[in-house]
Amino acid sequence: MRVVTTMVATIHAQFLGVKKDFDMWRDAGVTLILSLIFADVLESARFSPPGKPKLTGCRSPEKETFTCWWEPGPDGGLPTSYSLYYRKDNSDTVYECPDYHTAGKNSCFFNKYETSIWVNYNITVMATNALGSSVSDPVDVDVVYIVQPHTPENVTAVVYTDDDDDPFLLARWEPPRKVDTHSGWITLVYELRVKLEKGDTWEEHFAGQQKQFNIFSPRSGEVYMVQVRCKPDHGFWSEWSPISYVKVPDYIHRERSMWILIAVISAFVFLIFTWTVKHNSVKRFLLPPVPRPKIRGFDTQLLKSGKSEEVLGGLVIQGFPPTSDYDDLLVECLEVYDEEQELVVDGKDLQEGCLKSKSRSDSDSGRGSCDSHTLLMEKCGGAKEGPPTVLNGKQGQAGRGPLEKSNSHGHRLDAAESPDETNGSLSTVFSSQQQSHKPSSHSIPEIPRQCRVPGNHCPSTHQHDYKESLADAACLGKPLAGYRCMQAYSDHNIHKIGHKREATFQTSKSTGYVEVQKVEQENMLIVNPIAKEVRDLYHPEPTGQDYSKVNDVVNDNVLLLQREIAAKNQVAGNPTENCPHQQAGKPAIHTAVPLHYEVCLASNGYVTQPQK
Amino acid sequence: MSLRPLNLHSEPSVIFLVLLCLEPRVRVQSAPICAQGYAGCQLRSLADLFDRVIQHSARMHGLSSDLHSEFEQYFLPSKNQIGRINRKCHTSSILTPNDKENAQRLAREELTEVILKLLAAWRDPLSQVHQSMAHREDSFSSFSSNRALEMSDMVHQLRSGVEKVAEKMQLLGMISNSLSSVSSSAEALPSSSSSSSAEALPLPSSRGSRSRSHYELLHCFRRDSDKVQSYLKMLKCRIVPEHGC
Repeated sequence: MRVVTTMVATIHAQFLGVKKDFDMWRDAGVTLILSLIFADVLESARFSPPGKPKLTGCRSPEKETFTCWWEPGPDGGLPTSYSLYYRKDNSDTVYECPDYHTAGKNSCFFNKYETSIWVNYNITVMATNALGSSVSDPVDVDVVYIVQPHTPENVTAVVYTDDDDDPFLLARWEPPRKVDTHSGWITLVYELRVKLEKGDTWEEHFAGQQKQFNIFSPRSGEVYMVQVRCKPDHGFWSEWSPISYVKVPDYIHRERSMWILIAVISAFVFLIFTWTVKHNSVKRFLLPPVPRPKIRGFDTQLLKSGKSEEVLGGLVIQGFPPTSDYDDLLVECLEVYDEEQELVVDGKDLQEGCLKSKSRSDSDSGRGSCDSHTLLMEKCGGAKEGPPTVLNGKQGQAGRGPLEKSNSHGHRLDAAESPDETNGSLSTVFSSQQQSHKPSSHSIPEIPRQCRVPGNHCPSTHQHDYKESLADAACLGKPLAGYRCMQAYSDHNIHKIGHKREATFQTSKSTGYVEVQKVEQENMLIVNPIAKEVRDLYHPEPTGQDYSKVNDVVNDNVLLLQREIAAKNQVAGNPTENCPHQQAGKPAIHTAVPLHYEVCLASNGYVTQPQK
Repeated sequence: MSLRPLNLHSEPSVIFLVLLCLEPRVRVQSAPICAQGYAGCQLRSLADLFDRVIQHSARMHGLSSDLHSEFEQYFLPSKNQIGRINRKCHTSSILTPNDKENAQRLAREELTEVILKLLAAWRDPLSQVHQSMAHREDSFSSFSSNRALEMSDMVHQLRSGVEKVAEKMQLLGMISNSLSSVSSSAEALPSSSSSSSAEALPLPSSRGSRSRSHYELLHCFRRDSDKVQSYLKMLKCRIVPEHGC
């Protein structure tokens, strides 16, 4: 409109044709027009009726009052006023909010006189400014369902120690101040949450309607943070109360201290037990020794050192094979070497056996059995090789012939030659049924051990095994080194003595010593088989009836046998005497045995070869 | 001690009798459960009764609010319907205190009476809801009808429970004996409620309107069950305050 008027005014001025005034008028008009246009434009951009506000929510802290808040919309540039209106329970009466200030800006507070429970409020907010107004969307509110109390108050947490029990945390609180729980108007339920100060997660506990809560077994020395909140029956949870701190003093769990005590006491008892009872038995009980293969006497260390001899030496069991009183069971092998007459050897095998070589070192103590035929032969063979037997230094006397006999066993006598009485040949020797003749070498300290032979036990048991009773170079047995081989006589010819007479005398199974009955023709002995118990051959001074000691050697070919007891034998012969140290023996020489070669009668009654 | 007639024909009973008479310790005597004395024990039992009743009402309220919210989601998704809760509840004729002061100002007997009235007013409408929804075939309707039936039964049980509480209170002299009129006045309500509902609502011909009426009914019932619960709590804390108030 104004624009038009001004324009009209301008045109009119122009039409009037005022010459000089027209320029002035024209300038003023233009200015006016421009300013008006400008103002108009500005005005339309800035001002408008307010936008729609929005009710954000209503809350009641104690079910007696409540507050509503809204959000203003765009206000259109002009100062806008807000007003809240409500209607109760479908009535058409509209009320306006009584209190806009108590609860802050953009809020409406309903006090308890204006608040009705179980009544439906229909609330709207209107925004008004110079240009217009707008109304928000209505909201229906029933106070019962919008209750959100304040936080619980006076939240305290303490460490509660009940006599000697373990301490626990006791948290206590009170309902928010305004909520009336005593009259039953509101029923509150509580919730508690706990956290270690160093920890990250909260531990929540529902406490129901009670106003205290126990937290058991807190960590000793730690600081705990406690918070509580509450909620009415149907409503909203309150905010968490401010944090309460509580410090737990250092303590040890009763249960743990009890267990520690029990552990200590039981350890103590166990220690005492192990010391009072023997170490070993406990040790053996707990860790039984694992049986390992072990050879007694075998020293592995020694083996490693390379001294096999010593090692093997340790393996030899002293005293094996078991000997009893067979000490004197050395059967002497009387080898009679008769140049004229070869002794018959019984059995080929024997001969063969004798030729066998025998290994010298035989460390196997278990080898050999009496019963072994071959063994016997082996021994013989071995003997032939010339084992280093020691015969008290009398070894070298090969030439003389084997004699040796030693024991004055009555039965055996072989005289090699009896220059005087015999024809120079002595037949024999027979065996003394003693299968296990072992050439005894009473004084042979070292003897090849191989000679084990029908050994000790043989005499007692297996006599029948041997047909050739006689000697053979059988070894024998026993004592000392355990294996004496009478092959001491190896130097000399060892012959198996045949059994010519064997059959005759094989009546008994005992170690047959044979008693010489008589001597015939000066070179024959007739003996009586005697079945007696085994005698120990190796007995320097045999006692008993069956043994005869040589008392004297007469004429170099006669043995004077001494009999202390009633003698059965009577032998006549020419004893030779050649020994330098012969001692007059005991009297009562009953027998004499012709000898074919020189012998010495030692002081102990044994016949030996003279030392020249 | 009970006296039994002698029956000479049966030996065991004779023996028993003899024993009973001879041994004084065998005789049975009634002993009080609580040791606080007669009055204390009575109060204790009253408080327990109240607790039971309050729990029952709480359960009832929970059921009603569940059903109401389900109905809201199922049938009426849009919340911007004007005037949807403009209907008055049929129980609005019953004067009920709407805030704490008014409730406290009411006498015990009156408060009890209000509770009983409310409970009496709801039994029939709920069974009606149940019946009307039972005919439908959709799953929600059958579910709601079962719930409605359940709530109807609960209302009935609660009512009888409150009646027992009232009797006990009368017995203990805490309230006067003026409650006999409750039941009679309550009977008048259903008819009025049905008539009012008939007036207020259009004939429930269409499904939608029927649902709407159910929804509003449930809305009213939810509110009333909460009232009942609150009133009971207040009554308890007024009568037996030392037992958890």
